[in-house]
Amino acid sequence: MRRSDRSAEFVEFARAHRSDLVRTAVLLCAGDEAFAEDIVQTTLTKLYLAWGRVRRTDRPLAYARTALTNVFVDECRRAHRRRETLAANLPVVADHRDPQEGADLRAVVLQALEALGPRQRAVVVLRHWHDLDVYETAAALGCSVGTVKSQNARALAHLRQVLDPTREPLVGGTR
Amino acid sequence: MNDVKQLLEVAATLPRSSVDPADDLRRARASSRARTGRRLRLGSAGLALAAVVAVGLGEVATDPGPSGPGPSASPEAFADVRLVAGELDADPYTFAMVPQGWSVQSQNPYAVTIAPDDGTTSASPDDFRGKLVILFDQNPPNGDYVSNDGRDFWISVSSDYVTVATVTRGDEPPGVVRIQYPADAGWSHASMLEFLGSVHVGPGALPGQG
Repeated sequence: MRRSDRSAEFVEFARAHRSDLVRTAVLLCAGDEAFAEDIVQTTLTKLYLAWGRVRRTDRPLAYARTALTNVFVDECRRAHRRRETLAANLPVVADHRDPQEGADLRAVVLQALEALGPRQRAVVVLRHWHDLDVYETAAALGCSVGTVKSQNARALAHLRQVLDPTREPLVGGTR
Repeated sequence: MNDVKQLLEVAATLPRSSVDPADDLRRARASSRARTGRRLRLGSAGLALAAVVAVGLGEVATDPGPSGPGPSASPEAFADVRLVAGELDADPYTFAMVPQGWSVQSQNPYAVTIAPDDGTTSASPDDFRGKLVILFDQNPPNGDYVSNDGRDFWISVSSDYVTVATVTRGDEPPGVVRIQYPADAGWSHASMLEFLGSVHVGPGALPGQG
């Protein structure tokens, strides 16, 4: 494959799907837009380097989302992210304002996501934002179906507690 | 659409301007060039190493006399980074081995950052890229188990970084001390096991939460 062809395909892909990846990254990063932009750039670079694999797959966007999730989990394991977590070291306090109140809702949801561990957040995003089933989520994260189910249950319980302890359980069972 | 999806939809809403994909392409091409350069350098280093080994074997084969007191060719001699004996104090951490050409850039109760002296990495102590970081925490060690010099270690390799972990000794605060370093920084696993084994965690160290 000629480099110009690869570049043209890559630019077309980035133009079409970058915003999708950024939105996913913002959820994974719990609203940290700088971190989200970092992992999107890293993901796109990795996709370019492995473009042959990307174009051979049936669903390039799904491939890219999985790559993005893996970049996110890898980054969270690294020391500099850990140090930033230490520096922040802020207790997450449940905000019991009515989360349906307009502009506050986004901040409350992001705060609730921030309190989840990186892999729990990834499970929530893949399962409930991208509608992957437990098997697809397990494959994307390289873990067992049981792990996905338990992480999902814990994450939903936490989200419910933080977002509104008086509400009915959040919908989102195992498929 | 369920409750969770509705909430995530709201959280993912961004009033963002579009980004030119040409910038992504520029970064990707730069990374591609850098990768090619690394592979070429590694190839050259491999050829040089093969030549050194071949010459060394030739000398051994042709020299029947006793070897002199010169430096032995330890495995570390072939890595880009050499460890030398020497005290390195980064309170509350101390090191009995020193990586030649690297110096402590920052230290705190949770971690020590060591950077190369050649100025190729950021001067900011909060930027860990290309540096050696020693961390102390209480998370369980993970990775492939290896035993070295009577001590247990775990080595975990990701795409760009290697992490080596070991449990602290009885006279140190309880926890796990880890070293993280870039996979392409020139450190061999053997060097890193030796270096980590030389770390002493002092009583002032605090376990990180990560």
